[in-house]
Amino acid sequence: MHKRLLGIVLLILMTLGGSRVMLPPAGAAGAPGEITLGTLYASSGPFASISMPVYYGLRLWIDQKNAEGGVFVKPFHKKIPLKLIAYDDQSSTATAATLYNQLITQDKVDILIADSGSVLTSVAVPIARDHKMLLIDQTGTGAAFFTKDNPYIVLIADPVSSIWPRYAAEFLAKDGVALGIRRVAMVYATNDFTGTQASAFRKFIKESGAPLQFVYDEGVPTNTSSYTVIINNIRAANPDAVIELGYAGNDISFLRNLQDSGVKFKWLFAIYPGLETELLKKAVGTKALDYVYTYVPSSVISYRTNFGMSLAQFRAAWYEKYAHSNVEFGFNSVAGYTTGLVLERALAVTQSLDQLALRKAIFSLSGKLRTLDGLFQLDPTGAQIGEITPLGQIVPASAGGIRFVIVYPHSVATGKPVYPAP
Amino acid sequence: MLAYALLAGLLFGLYFTLVGLGLNLVFGVLRIVNLAHGDILMLGAFTAYWLFTTFRVPPLLSAALALPLFAGAGVPFYYLVVPRLLRSRDPEMLSLIFFFGLSQIIEALAAIVFGTSERSIPGSALARGPVALLHQTFPAAWVTSAALSGLAVLGVYLYLYRTRLGYLTRAVMVHWEESVASGIDAHRVSAIAFGAGLALAGIAGVLAPFMLGSVTPAMGVDTTITAFAVIVMGSLGSPLGTVLGGILYGVSLMVMQTYFSSWANLLPYLLLIGILLLRPSGLLGRQIRRA
Repeated sequence: MHKRLLGIVLLILMTLGGSRVMLPPAGAAGAPGEITLGTLYASSGPFASISMPVYYGLRLWIDQKNAEGGVFVKPFHKKIPLKLIAYDDQSSTATAATLYNQLITQDKVDILIADSGSVLTSVAVPIARDHKMLLIDQTGTGAAFFTKDNPYIVLIADPVSSIWPRYAAEFLAKDGVALGIRRVAMVYATNDFTGTQASAFRKFIKESGAPLQFVYDEGVPTNTSSYTVIINNIRAANPDAVIELGYAGNDISFLRNLQDSGVKFKWLFAIYPGLETELLKKAVGTKALDYVYTYVPSSVISYRTNFGMSLAQFRAAWYEKYAHSNVEFGFNSVAGYTTGLVLERALAVTQSLDQLALRKAIFSLSGKLRTLDGLFQLDPTGAQIGEITPLGQIVPASAGGIRFVIVYPHSVATGKPVYPAP
Repeated sequence: MLAYALLAGLLFGLYFTLVGLGLNLVFGVLRIVNLAHGDILMLGAFTAYWLFTTFRVPPLLSAALALPLFAGAGVPFYYLVVPRLLRSRDPEMLSLIFFFGLSQIIEALAAIVFGTSERSIPGSALARGPVALLHQTFPAAWVTSAALSGLAVLGVYLYLYRTRLGYLTRAVMVHWEESVASGIDAHRVSAIAFGAGLALAGIAGVLAPFMLGSVTPAMGVDTTITAFAVIVMGSLGSPLGTVLGGILYGVSLMVMQTYFSSWANLLPYLLLIGILLLRPSGLLGRQIRRA
C-alpha cells in the first residue's frame, strides 16, 4: 500500500510539475509573400502579467501594419504582410524550450521573438544560438545573455538589467547620503532580471565610494508570496533605505504585507509600481504606493520620437483595441509595440533576410532611432543601453490618485524627493 | 527574529491546515486525490475578489457565503462524477487524470473571465491594523485568517468526532464495503464529505489574498502541491495530522525565510520527500485510512 501511495505521490508531482496542456499549433510555416514572426506568450502562470501586455503590444503593431498592406522589406522593394505564429508557454520554461524549437525547426519562422522577461527568454538564448537564429529579445534583460561571442541576440525594448539601477544607485550615493541615508537593506528575487539588478546596485554603490552600508542583503525565490517575516527581519536591521527587487507578484505581496504589518520604511524602492502602475493600483491600492521610489517608465514619460506613434497616440490605440480586455496598459505594452517598430525599421534597411544581415540592420539603428520607449542604443554584445529610466517617487495626488515625480537625474527632475516618507 | 518567525509560522501554518483539510477529507473518505483542489480554492479567492470589488461585500461575509455555495455545488458534482470514477477498475488513477483535466479547465475559464494578472483585496477589508501577539506585531488579516482557519479545523473535528454523521463518515473512511454492509448510505456520507471538502477549499480561497498577497488563475497547481505536501506530512486521511502538517510547514517556511531565504520554497518538497522516506504513512499515520 505504501509503495502504491509513494507511486501516486511521485506521479502527482510529475504530473503537476512536468506537463501542461498546450494549445494546438497556430498555423503552418510562412507562405511566400509573408514575413513570419514567431513568438511565445504566457497566458497563465507567474509571468502572465508581464507577458500578455508585451504580446498585445506586438500584436497591435502587426495588425496596424497589415491593415496598411504590410511592412516595407528592402530586399524585395515592396510591402509584405506579416504573419504571426504565437504559442502559449504558460510561464513554463520547459514548455517554452520545446516551443522555441518548434518555431525554428517546424514553423521555420523568418524572425524569432522571445517571450517577455528574463526567465522565459533564458531558455531561448542557447536554442537560438545553436540554430543560428537571431533572437529578438524583447524584455529579457539578464546581463548573462549578452556575450561577445554570441551574435545571435539583440535586446530591443528594455535596458539590460545591469544598468537599470544606475540612477537609483547614484541617487542613494549622492542625494541619499546628503539626506542622511547610511544603512541600506536589499531583498531580491533570485532570477536573472532582479538578480542582475541586485548585483548592479551593489556594484554601483561600491564604486561610488559613498558611505553606504548594506545591513540586509538576501535573495528569495521568485515565487515568494509571503514577505511578512522578511519585512520584520529587515526592520530589525534598522535600515535608512530599503530596496525590494522582484517581479509584479513579488512587489504586490511585499507592498501588501508591508501595509498590513504597519511597518514603514523611510525610503523604499520597488520596480513594478512604475512599470505596471495600473496593475499595482488595482492589486494593492494607491495608499500602498504612496512615497515609493521606482523607475519612471516609458508608459509615463512622453519621449520625443522620430518613428512610430507617440505615447499619447499609442495609449489611445491601445484602449481602442483592448478596451474590454483584462490586460493592463503599461510599460510592457509599450515594449511590445517598440519591438515592432524596431523590426519595421530594420526590415526597411536590411540587405537580406539572413539572420546576421538582420542583426546588422538593427545595429544600424543604434543611437539614431527614437521611439516612445526612448533612445534605441546597443552595446557591441547586443545589450540595450538606451531607454534607461529615471528614478521617480510616487506621491499622492488629488482625489486619492497618485502621480510620478522624477527625482534623479537632476537634468530631468520634476521635483524633490520626500524623505523620510511620512 | 526567531520568536517572530515561529509565531508567524504558526499563523501561516494554521492557514495551510485549512488549505489541506478539504483535500484530506476527500481523500480520507473516497481515496481520491482531488488535483483540482487548488483551483477550487482559486475560485473561492476570485469569488471573494469579485464580490468585494463589485458589491463591496466584506470577505468575512464572502467566507460565510462560500460555505453553502461550494458545498452546494460539491454534492451534486459528487453524484455526477464520483460514483462513476469509483466503479472503474482503477479509481485512483482515473481520478488523478479526471481532476487534472478539471484543474486545467477551471484555470483556463478563470483566466478568460478574470484575466491573467494578479488580483488582491486590501487587508483592511478583513481586519484593520497590526495586532500585537506575545510582544510581536502581525498583520490583523493574518491573525483573523488564522483564527478563521482554527475555527474551521475545530468545526471539522466536531463534525467528525461529535456528530452522528461524523461517526458514519469515519466508518466509511475505515472501510467502504463494511460500512455499506452495515447499512450506511456510503454515497450520501461521501457526497456530504466531498461538499465539505470543497467548502473548506472555498473558504481557504476567500482568505488567500490576505495570506498569499495576491491571487491569479494559475495559482491552483502550486496550491495543490503545497496542500498535498501538508497532508502527506501529517498523514493521508487524518484531519488531526493535517493540523500538524500545516503547522510544521508554516513554521519551517518562516524559519527558512529568516535564515536561508533563498532556499525557502524548496522546503515543502524536502519535507515531503524526507517524511515519505522515513515515515511513509505520515507523522500521525498508523494506517493510510485510519480515521
